[in-house]
Amino acid sequence: MAVSRSEPLIDRVFLEKLERLTIRWQRSFPGIVGGHNRSRFPGPGQEFLDHRHFHHGDDLRAVNWRAYLRLEKLFLKMFQVEPRVPVRLLLDASRSMDLGQYNKFRYARQIAAAVSYVGLVRLDTIHIHPFSTVLEEAHVCSGGRHRFARTAEFLGRLQAHGETDFYGVARQFAANSPQRGLLIVISDFLDQGDCERPLQYLADSGHELLLIHVWSEEDRVPPWTGELELSDAETGDRLELAFDDDARAAYTEAFDAWARRLQELAARKDGRYVGLCTSMPVEEAVFGPLIRARGVE
Amino acid sequence: MFFQNLSLLEFLGLLSAVSGVVVALYLLDRSKRKITVATLRFWAVAQQIPEKRHRKRIQQPWSLILQLVGIALLLLAIAQVKWGSRATSLREHVLIVDASAWMGARGRHGTLIDEAKAAALAYIRSLPPSDRIMVVRAEAFPAPLTGMATSKKIAEDAVRSIQPGAAALDLAAALSFAQRTRSLGAGNSGEIVFAGAGRHSGGDSLPALGGATFRYLPVEEPEDNCGLRQVGLRRAAGASGLWEVLVAVRNYGRAPRTLTVAAQFGNAPVASRALVLNPGAEQTFTFPLSTRAAGWLEVRLLTRDAFPNDDRVVLEIPPDRPLRVVIYTREPGLLRPLFTADPRLAPQFLAPEAWTPNPNADVIVLDRFSPPSPPALPSIWLDPPASGAPVRSLRRVDNTALTRWRSEHPLGAGLHTEDVKLENTQVFAVAGGDIAVAETPQGAAIVARPTEPRLVAFGFQPLRSAMRYQLATPLLFANILRWLSPESLRLWEVDAGAAGSRALTLDSEVSPKDVRVVDEDGRPLPFSIQGRTLRFYSAGAGTVHVFTPSGEIVQSLTLPEVPDARFAPPKNARRGVPRSWPAAARSHDLWPYLAFLGALFLLLEWALYGQPLRSSWQAPARLIVLRNRLWRTPERKAS
Repeated sequence: MAVSRSEPLIDRVFLEKLERLTIRWQRSFPGIVGGHNRSRFPGPGQEFLDHRHFHHGDDLRAVNWRAYLRLEKLFLKMFQVEPRVPVRLLLDASRSMDLGQYNKFRYARQIAAAVSYVGLVRLDTIHIHPFSTVLEEAHVCSGGRHRFARTAEFLGRLQAHGETDFYGVARQFAANSPQRGLLIVISDFLDQGDCERPLQYLADSGHELLLIHVWSEEDRVPPWTGELELSDAETGDRLELAFDDDARAAYTEAFDAWARRLQELAARKDGRYVGLCTSMPVEEAVFGPLIRARGVE
Repeated sequence: MFFQNLSLLEFLGLLSAVSGVVVALYLLDRSKRKITVATLRFWAVAQQIPEKRHRKRIQQPWSLILQLVGIALLLLAIAQVKWGSRATSLREHVLIVDASAWMGARGRHGTLIDEAKAAALAYIRSLPPSDRIMVVRAEAFPAPLTGMATSKKIAEDAVRSIQPGAAALDLAAALSFAQRTRSLGAGNSGEIVFAGAGRHSGGDSLPALGGATFRYLPVEEPEDNCGLRQVGLRRAAGASGLWEVLVAVRNYGRAPRTLTVAAQFGNAPVASRALVLNPGAEQTFTFPLSTRAAGWLEVRLLTRDAFPNDDRVVLEIPPDRPLRVVIYTREPGLLRPLFTADPRLAPQFLAPEAWTPNPNADVIVLDRFSPPSPPALPSIWLDPPASGAPVRSLRRVDNTALTRWRSEHPLGAGLHTEDVKLENTQVFAVAGGDIAVAETPQGAAIVARPTEPRLVAFGFQPLRSAMRYQLATPLLFANILRWLSPESLRLWEVDAGAAGSRALTLDSEVSPKDVRVVDEDGRPLPFSIQGRTLRFYSAGAGTVHVFTPSGEIVQSLTLPEVPDARFAPPKNARRGVPRSWPAAARSHDLWPYLAFLGALFLLLEWALYGQPLRSSWQAPARLIVLRNRLWRTPERKAS
């Protein structure tokens, strides 16, 4: 399906639906309480955070009387409280993602945008790391829902490039982000090497994994038949073969087996796995598989 | 079963060609195609299946079969396959309606064309719905008004639109056209039908008609008709403003007729003749008409008959304006006999002192006189002073002779002199473009200059030399005047005739590039010249002008032609409108069903094996995609 690049990743109606969701993690991360991260949460604290409208029952001590004298409206001052568990999102931006009748890369960015918005609504701070061969500089989104435009703009600007190198990316991530937390990986997990060991390494280093596996229809069930000359989107390697129904069944079986291995890996490390086909609408994916996997609730 | 639009061989050939192309495209479609995939990881598993190298093997036979069957059904629909026998179930008729000028004659029930149209309409209405018919309007040329179609309304409308024309019927051409049309058609049991009086100009050279396939719808002709056959008008020789009018009248009836022919010019009677005409007889008479004015000459038969269109002719007479010649001379008596001999000339003699450069004239003659300013009109210079001569004078020579005339030029045409001695003459220098009309051994004595205004210079005074006794002198001046003012001395000939193909006999052989044939609006008409015969064709009534170097012929094509030949149908030809038709074998049009089935097969093939994926090899994948969307299979498997 051809989608214009200028078209927004997520529409406003969908964003409104996302406001009732929360990013969820299962594990406790000892040692991070005490303000090690920049997540902000309103409540009784010392440092000013934001204003909001006064509601019945709010603490009158927090009313900004100066603003009341000037505007004749009651605004409540909010203060920063204790830190939250860090949420990091690894977004696969390799060339293999830029394929498919329904483009996987756009689909992945839409999922990332949806998760980011859910985090922003709950005033979480989310680090979005695009990656392919290397881990790129993180985009930090925080500060509430009104900061989502920057995040959407960042995601919209991303271009797919390079080969996937999970091993190098995992090592780089572990070196740069020693603080443990929730790690969301949105990818097709098609690495020339083995992606399971790097993922296992990240889980072993204390991160809680949420693997969002994105594939297109033809990734799982190639529609072609006959004499094919295949070219790898990332490496350019070529393969010639005759493809028929039997081969297609074997291919699909191999793909499903590999997806099961990813699922087992996530389960083994107290993580979660969500498999999404790009033919499924994003909204349906968030409110269906992602909620069922308890990635959000 | 038969094909209406194609023969069996054509159908098989077409089917073979299309099938071959489809199979070739089908096999080519299965050639190796290049695809970019996200990873080769899982393809390696698929590669473990034994590789099939049968690229040219048909891998989805049902796709190919569906395509071929669909195409075959569409071809059958195009060929219009029908149940039944072609010979008995498909009748094609060609209906020829006589639209010649004679069909405008009055019959018992209106005009002849009305009767012919009524018979033609009755014939059309009698046809079974499945029969096809073509309507042809026959006049000088056959003109099909409809295609071969089953729509009776179209045919009836075409018949109603027919009106009699101005030309005679060329029945041979119409019948040949009908026979060719039937031979090209699919049916072979239809008829050639002719509705009309059948007076035609083709003589006996009609094509052979199979009586079993020819039907004649006769129209009863009137018995009493007299008409003008020809009206001609030409200038009388030797008199200005005098015309000779030729009138030919014919009795087409079967009884002797006494009638009066009257002619009017400008609403004034100019001639009247009483004629007695036996059946089939034709009389010709002439009468003079004296007028210099332009106007309309009307010739009318004072009688009442069935065909009034040939009882009246109107001809246009052009103005007869004489050629005005102003002669500046001190000896008018010397030149007066030369210029007053021709009544078409209007000479005026003036003294040189009365010179004006632009007098009210067509030609100026300067007799031994050189004007202070050059004349603005065509001129003849007779022995001009050397200092003022329009052509440079070389010298004067004495006792010489005219030795050569330029007889190939219109100025010297027909001139010949012998032993003409000139006591004294100037010799002119002949510049580029000048014409030496007459020469002496010392040089040109008469020179013409064709640049406008034209002029002719004499080195001597011809009427004061030995030339005055020569017959060539008036001929030379006649040539000069015609060359200087060709429009004024143009010959006129006006004839009335019928539209259609016309043949004129010219006075002499001329080159086609010197001839123009134009209609009354000035548009050129195609023509041909063979010897002295000029032929052209005029589709409708009107006036045609034929310009030749010697004159102008005006053809007033308003007189309808009534041919003498009558059509005699074959003895075994059918006559009249049929009361009933033999029951044709019932045939059913199958093409709508075949077209629907063909489209259905192709649609089915497209749905199962076709786009929007690349080709027919994706049917299983399409089904899997559909199933996944409906039941979310991959999500279940993966999660």
